[in-house]
Amino acid sequence: MPAHPNPHQDELVELALKRVVASGAEYGDIRLLDSTTQTIRGEDRRIASIREAQDGGFGIRVLYHGAWGFAASSILSLEEAPRVAELAIEIAKGSASLASEKVKLADEPVHRDRVVTARRIDPFAVDLEKKTALLLETMEYVHRQPGIVRSSASLWARQDRKLFVSTEGSRLEFDLLAVNGDFDATAVHDGRFASRSFNTPHLRMGYELIEDANFLAEAPRIASQAVEKVKAPTTEPGLYDLVLDPEHLSLTMHESCGHPSELDRALGYEANYAGTSFLTTEKRGTFRYGSPQVNLVADNCEPTTLAATGYDDDGVACQQWDIVRDGIFVGYCTNREVAPIIGETRSRGSNRADSWGSIPIVRIANIGLEPGTATLDKLLADVKRGIYIEGHGSYSIDQRRYNFQFGGDAFWLIENGKRTYMVRDVIYHGITPEFWGSCDGVADQSHRRRYGFITCGKGQPGQSGWMTHAASHARFRNVNVIGGQAGL
Amino acid sequence: MSTTSHKTWPKLTSRDEFRFLAEQALKRSTGDHTLVALHDQHSGTTRFANNQIVQNVDTRRGSLSVTVAFGRRRGTAGTTDFTAGAVQETVTRATQIAHLSPDDPEYLPPVEPQPYLTPPTTRAETAAAGPVRRLEYTNEAIGQCRMENLGAAGIVSSSIATVGVAASTGLFAHEERTDARFSLTAQAGEATGWSAAAHRSIDHLRVQERTLTAIDKAKRGLEVRELPPGCYTVILEPAAVAGLWSSLLWMLDAKSYEKGTSAFSGKLGQLIVDKRLTLRNLPAHEDLLGIGFTADGLPTVASDWIADGVLTQLMYDRFTAKVRGIDKIPTLDAPCLSGRGLSLPTLQELIKATERAILVTNFWYIRTVNPTDLTLTGMTRDGTFLVEKGAIVSAVKNFRFHESPLRVFNRIAAFTNPAEAITSETGKLLVPAMTLRDFNFSSVTRF
Repeated sequence: MPAHPNPHQDELVELALKRVVASGAEYGDIRLLDSTTQTIRGEDRRIASIREAQDGGFGIRVLYHGAWGFAASSILSLEEAPRVAELAIEIAKGSASLASEKVKLADEPVHRDRVVTARRIDPFAVDLEKKTALLLETMEYVHRQPGIVRSSASLWARQDRKLFVSTEGSRLEFDLLAVNGDFDATAVHDGRFASRSFNTPHLRMGYELIEDANFLAEAPRIASQAVEKVKAPTTEPGLYDLVLDPEHLSLTMHESCGHPSELDRALGYEANYAGTSFLTTEKRGTFRYGSPQVNLVADNCEPTTLAATGYDDDGVACQQWDIVRDGIFVGYCTNREVAPIIGETRSRGSNRADSWGSIPIVRIANIGLEPGTATLDKLLADVKRGIYIEGHGSYSIDQRRYNFQFGGDAFWLIENGKRTYMVRDVIYHGITPEFWGSCDGVADQSHRRRYGFITCGKGQPGQSGWMTHAASHARFRNVNVIGGQAGL
Repeated sequence: MSTTSHKTWPKLTSRDEFRFLAEQALKRSTGDHTLVALHDQHSGTTRFANNQIVQNVDTRRGSLSVTVAFGRRRGTAGTTDFTAGAVQETVTRATQIAHLSPDDPEYLPPVEPQPYLTPPTTRAETAAAGPVRRLEYTNEAIGQCRMENLGAAGIVSSSIATVGVAASTGLFAHEERTDARFSLTAQAGEATGWSAAAHRSIDHLRVQERTLTAIDKAKRGLEVRELPPGCYTVILEPAAVAGLWSSLLWMLDAKSYEKGTSAFSGKLGQLIVDKRLTLRNLPAHEDLLGIGFTADGLPTVASDWIADGVLTQLMYDRFTAKVRGIDKIPTLDAPCLSGRGLSLPTLQELIKATERAILVTNFWYIRTVNPTDLTLTGMTRDGTFLVEKGAIVSAVKNFRFHESPLRVFNRIAAFTNPAEAITSETGKLLVPAMTLRDFNFSSVTRF
């Protein structure tokens, strides 16, 4: 059931925006979105559910006397459009009654464009039997490993057909796709249990992502590592050098660099929920965020990444810019509303909504760690006592993004320059600028991998943000590793 | 502004309209079994920060999903389009998916018609509330903060939803649910104070009282001292207790229990927390957010989950329940934790009775560190104080904890009567404030 455009969409848009213009509002836009999401979920050698959901509607945003109003509806009719527009206008007028500082939008050229995700294989055209067979076979492979008691496997695909039209004259059409697949294995031993997982990155491409991932070749390795992990010796707390793999780093970057670089957080917009930021505006350009080896770059133009949608939901063209250069914090993720507050003349194009029913907010860009010059072997070779960490595990960070604690999916002890055997219960703790300040090596471009996030929570009502974080392996010195058990 | 949103919008899908929609879908389905589910919601949120509105939104979203099964093969399709053609298309797609699905050995047909309680899931004043009412509350919170030279950040939200389940077995359920929320973070420079409420009735949010609480916490935070990490006696306010209990309740899944992949495996019938504690589900309690039926169309039920500290219940899916011969599946939509024996009436009394402790308003970003022993981590947030000789003496920098609720709820020194608790990361519970001994704070942050 692929998403399809509404046959009356141009009339609906015209009806809505006419009302907005007639109200005297300084700005307005409308987004029509028709999404189709297919989710196939396997659990313990069975297909537990197959679901395909169509979600369509439109949202109208109005800026009136410097204050926002937004209304949205899943009823895509010519009667509903003017009613929703009127409501958005009325709500904006209410907001304006309490506005002591007026919103002024940064300028953006008018764009008229169409953006289409390049794909080799349409995921919605692939036979369902082929997909379920892959998941069932993957789980069978996982359960062949003695000690495995549970498994799961899933495939996910989403198509978004969107139309954005603003009162400034921009008109943007989108036909976007994103795909992902994953599986995991859980083992028990001696009253404990542990899981190991395999994830393709969420990327904007076709089903070729799944075919190239080769689940069946990976399944025995994941299963045997789950068993090795549950039987592994626990870690002795203390200071260790850490070598982190790209998938693990994607989460560390997301939490400790991505969120604090959102300008709306730094300005206090998220104080009641997601939190603020230790990267306050006076720090831009001078604050030492990390070692000189650390260069964190936002790139919403890199093909197939989640935030590379051509334009954001302000109608601003996607861009590339520095967040941290040579260890110094230099840039924020912004939208048209907050960029002028810090004297920037153009938005960075990081304003995104998670559906037609949500108002766009500043989201983390595709922030990645720029490759260095080392190899993974070189990074390991210079470690006497350390831990090599792969994948995502437990994660928690304070609301200003200083104090964090991360686990991982798999851990190996490094002794005298060599990765040795698996250990378990590794949790490392740090303060963000001290941790990034301890980075003394980043592997080169050949080690670079990308991982996508689609469940980044922010905003009230809550929204899910989508972005990709890329990295090569990196080394951090003398990090505090604590035990993963209560009271330690 | 003259908008009262409920009148402005097309009506939500009524019982009769859902019956009509469901009949259309059931009639068109060729499956052995068909289940139709409705969720139609009108919601609005006014969000403010730095003493002005930063978002003001109103959304109507209706969605319908259809599950069709042939034997043990099933498929589900969903749509937000309620026109006859779209409903037909949704049934057709669910049918196609079912035909292409493998057998699911755990598939069970939809349940037969059920008798339902009628918990008080809806309140007319919330249904009638719209942007104007939300603006009034916003104005009140911002105004109070401004008078104290503080910054206000928060939300006022209200929603009404109609929810329904119908099936080819004759099952039919439909109800209205309302929900209203207020939360506020008052800011005095670096210091913050927080308070929040959620209720079926927008009249019960107690905005003024909550605002004064947040303001008081922010003002007390102006002078902050740093204490070293370590084990402390703590006084957890209800929101902090709710955060730990929510994480515990998530892990009560029966299938994980049976496979040995739960922290509770082997502990059914055993003492898991202090024997004075009892956890019940109370769907009809008017201060909780209980519902009449589940997504499967099963009735919610009042039930004991932990009785005198002993784990008595698990969270069952229908298949595992059938295997275990459980006829009536217990639900956990409206949890209430209470303590038996001598309790103190209020948090203030708890503070007065304490020689030295850390008072925690709320926890943030609670995550599982070790699922085997349910070790959790998280940060204190928006009001962490040192209590000495029965009084708050200063604010302290926020701590990270590293603890298991299965350990700390065996070290209870005192508790209050259950009170309403909600956080941005949990559902609503009724829980006591508690004094707990030897609570492990593993590190301190910079503020």
